Amino acid sequence: MLSETETRLLGVMMMVIMLGMGASLTFKDFAIALRKPVGVLVGLMCQYGLMPLVAFLLAKALALPPAYAVGLILMGCMPGGTTSNIFAYFSKSQLSLSILMTMSSTLLAILMVPLTLAFYSSGIEGQWQVPRANVIQVLFVLLVPTVIGIALRKWNANVGAVIEMVGGLLGVLVILFLVLSWVPRNSQLLMTTGFPVYAASIGLGLTGFVLGYGLSRLLRQDARRSRTIALETGIQNGPLAVLIVLLTFSGTQQQEVLLIPVLYSLFIVLTSSAVTVWFRRITLREELARDAAKIGALNAA
Amino acid sequence: MDAVSAYHLKPWLAQYGSAVPATLPAPEATSLAAMAGAATTRHAKRTAFTCVLPNGMYGNLSFAQVHAMSDQFAHYLRRVVGLQAGDRVALQMPNCLGYPVALLGVLKAGCVAVNTNPLYTAREMNHQFVDSGAKVVVIVDLFADKLEQALVGTAVKQVVLTKVTDFFPSLVGGIAHAVMKHWNRLVPGHSLQGVHTLPAALQQGTAAAGAVSGTGTGTGTYTETLTHDSLALLQYTGGTTGVAKGAELTHGNLLWNMAQMRAMAADRIVDGEEVVLTALPLYHIFAFTVNFLCMFDAGARNVLVPSPRPVQNLQRAIENYPITWITGVNTLYNALLNEEWFTAYPPRHLKAAGGGGAAMHHAVVERFEKVTGAPLAEGYGLTECAPVVCFQPLHGPRVKDSIGIPVPSTEVCLLDDAGNPVALGQPGELCVRGPQVMRGYWQRPEATAEVIRNGWLHTGDVAVMTADGTFRIVDRKKDMVLVSGFNVYPNEIEDALAHHDAVMEAAVIGLPDSKTGEAVHAYVVLREELVGKVTEAELLAHCKTLLTGYKVPVRVNFRIELPKTPVGKILRKDLRSEALKKS
Repeated sequence: MLSETETRLLGVMMMVIMLGMGASLTFKDFAIALRKPVGVLVGLMCQYGLMPLVAFLLAKALALPPAYAVGLILMGCMPGGTTSNIFAYFSKSQLSLSILMTMSSTLLAILMVPLTLAFYSSGIEGQWQVPRANVIQVLFVLLVPTVIGIALRKWNANVGAVIEMVGGLLGVLVILFLVLSWVPRNSQLLMTTGFPVYAASIGLGLTGFVLGYGLSRLLRQDARRSRTIALETGIQNGPLAVLIVLLTFSGTQQQEVLLIPVLYSLFIVLTSSAVTVWFRRITLREELARDAAKIGALNAA
Repeated sequence: MDAVSAYHLKPWLAQYGSAVPATLPAPEATSLAAMAGAATTRHAKRTAFTCVLPNGMYGNLSFAQVHAMSDQFAHYLRRVVGLQAGDRVALQMPNCLGYPVALLGVLKAGCVAVNTNPLYTAREMNHQFVDSGAKVVVIVDLFADKLEQALVGTAVKQVVLTKVTDFFPSLVGGIAHAVMKHWNRLVPGHSLQGVHTLPAALQQGTAAAGAVSGTGTGTGTYTETLTHDSLALLQYTGGTTGVAKGAELTHGNLLWNMAQMRAMAADRIVDGEEVVLTALPLYHIFAFTVNFLCMFDAGARNVLVPSPRPVQNLQRAIENYPITWITGVNTLYNALLNEEWFTAYPPRHLKAAGGGGAAMHHAVVERFEKVTGAPLAEGYGLTECAPVVCFQPLHGPRVKDSIGIPVPSTEVCLLDDAGNPVALGQPGELCVRGPQVMRGYWQRPEATAEVIRNGWLHTGDVAVMTADGTFRIVDRKKDMVLVSGFNVYPNEIEDALAHHDAVMEAAVIGLPDSKTGEAVHAYVVLREELVGKVTEAELLAHCKTLLTGYKVPVRVNFRIELPKTPVGKILRKDLRSEALKKS
């Protein structure tokens, strides 16, 4: 359970994060990306095609009760998280593609999230469903700071760059805040929570990484772009899901639905870090190999 | 020299038309300090300098601010440090807001600036400080760790430390500097004693000025003895051949060259309307005279980019400001044309671009003009001439692959080894006479006598002139390759290679050969996506379609990159010494 104040604080922080994300790109960046839209399209396919389906199938396979199932599916339907950009930076993936995917999936969220959420949660009992109006309302409220962020960047590069940095930093802080304020108070719950919930919370991100990579490769993206898309697919906007749950449910119902989004947010930081270290190594190895090939050509000449 | 030759008739004057005067009146300002004062009076409230970081963060200084701050720095140098007129002050920093403040401060103090490349090693710095006798060094904190070692045995009595983010809005500058220091770890520690930061130096200057005069903060007394013949700048050159020498450029040399450049640009530089992108470092003479001095005088907004490498660092600067002028070298333009953000959204307000420093490649010029719709005019100059000697005229038809025509009030002549003018169309050493030619090399009369003979500066570059007075550089005299007695000029071969679609950059050198005396060897960097897909045989076949047999390289070596100077000139001598070491 989060208190009223904490919920409000989370809402404000989310707005700042979105403001920062908006400020990370210019209209021209978008326009340039749209000249070669394949990468972004593949990313969006992974984001809204793959992830909700993975969440749905995981819920089925693990036979999760409705409260948890709804939390998981909601998590799967979320747009990309802003922390993915930080991981993309550290893993030496394509930062521009990562930012662009986060941004476009966030802008499209107002359309795609209600659609996918309604589709995959249609089999769930009514009282557990997230009303469409709530989702749209939250997304719309977050769209405003995003657009303001873009405009601020255009208006003044200094303001834009500062907001971008503050937003990025806050993205990490919010997850820490969630974990630190929620985990200790719910240690009892965590001890009694069964394997399926943990498997779902960890599995959603991991499956996202694997399938995101696979689908990108299948759609003829090169290895580095595919790794970028993989990270982007696996990393969802956890705090956003938490916020939607907080605004929709109350009491014990809220606590139950909240479990998977919070656990997901906690574990995704760990799994992403591991994947980032691994990806970074692969990228470095590829760079070395490319250099070696060039030197080989040099020696042969 | 013989009395009458094709060069004395100055056939290029016909190309001036009505747009460019054949001779210019002597510059009105008595010194660069006076010029800066007058420019400030005309443009006080305009933005003079904008420094743009890769993420778009920026800081601005108006003409009035630069004026006031450089006055404070002049007071600091004279009254706090105790310098006298003519004392040397070394400036060692990338493009940043501290540069114009420090440089104009030095000139307003009646002192002499010594431009120093911040990428120098401690040994190179030491040579330059000792040789110039600099008493103050203004250095950016990024390279301060080398200074302790570099100061041994020098006359330096005060170090002033600047930051790239000096004079940025405090929050933005603070964040940017913290990121540079703690995240990118670019700011090394140092153990120098008694160092002043630039902002602190300005405060001390203000205090000292008030204490002495009590009235104004004018710096007029420091500069009242300055004339066109007074030394303004020691610009070191010749690092590529042995020891670096300081070219003595006077206030007159620089004022004249500003006026000459302005005349050649004709109506494409309008007072108070230009926005110039300065990606070349200001410690380089071309950017110093053209981007800084000439554009300051014209009331332009100068967009300073601290580091143009990687070239993405220019993206926000080009996107966020209505750039009307760009200056650069071949490598910079080539790199820009390989960026999608540049080719998709080229600067819309661009009036002209200037290229120099090293030969521009035909293919690059053509593509740049097609992409931007603005002319890319090539010029020719050298440190010893402050630097501009020739430029392609911007008002009329330009001859591709040429360096254009001499600037006004300048005589150019091509001489053979005996010192006689060569016949029209024949290659000869390019020699210059004009008000921009340096006084000589600092404390090196022999070296001066070697290059300035009978009043003519001998450039060491081989050129030809056409009947209409257009000049074309054939190559550096010393880079020429002698294949079985035939002269091969590397530029021609490099240009042929650059015409191949897969080639991003090429360099050509001569190496000893048992059969032909010397043989042509090429070093090629392929476009990234084509690495490994193009063979040596393919490139040789391509060369054969464009070049006579003896000019075709015997070898094409593939490289990831080519050795370059900080401004991007390819260092053929490094390739040569490397190859000679191997064999």
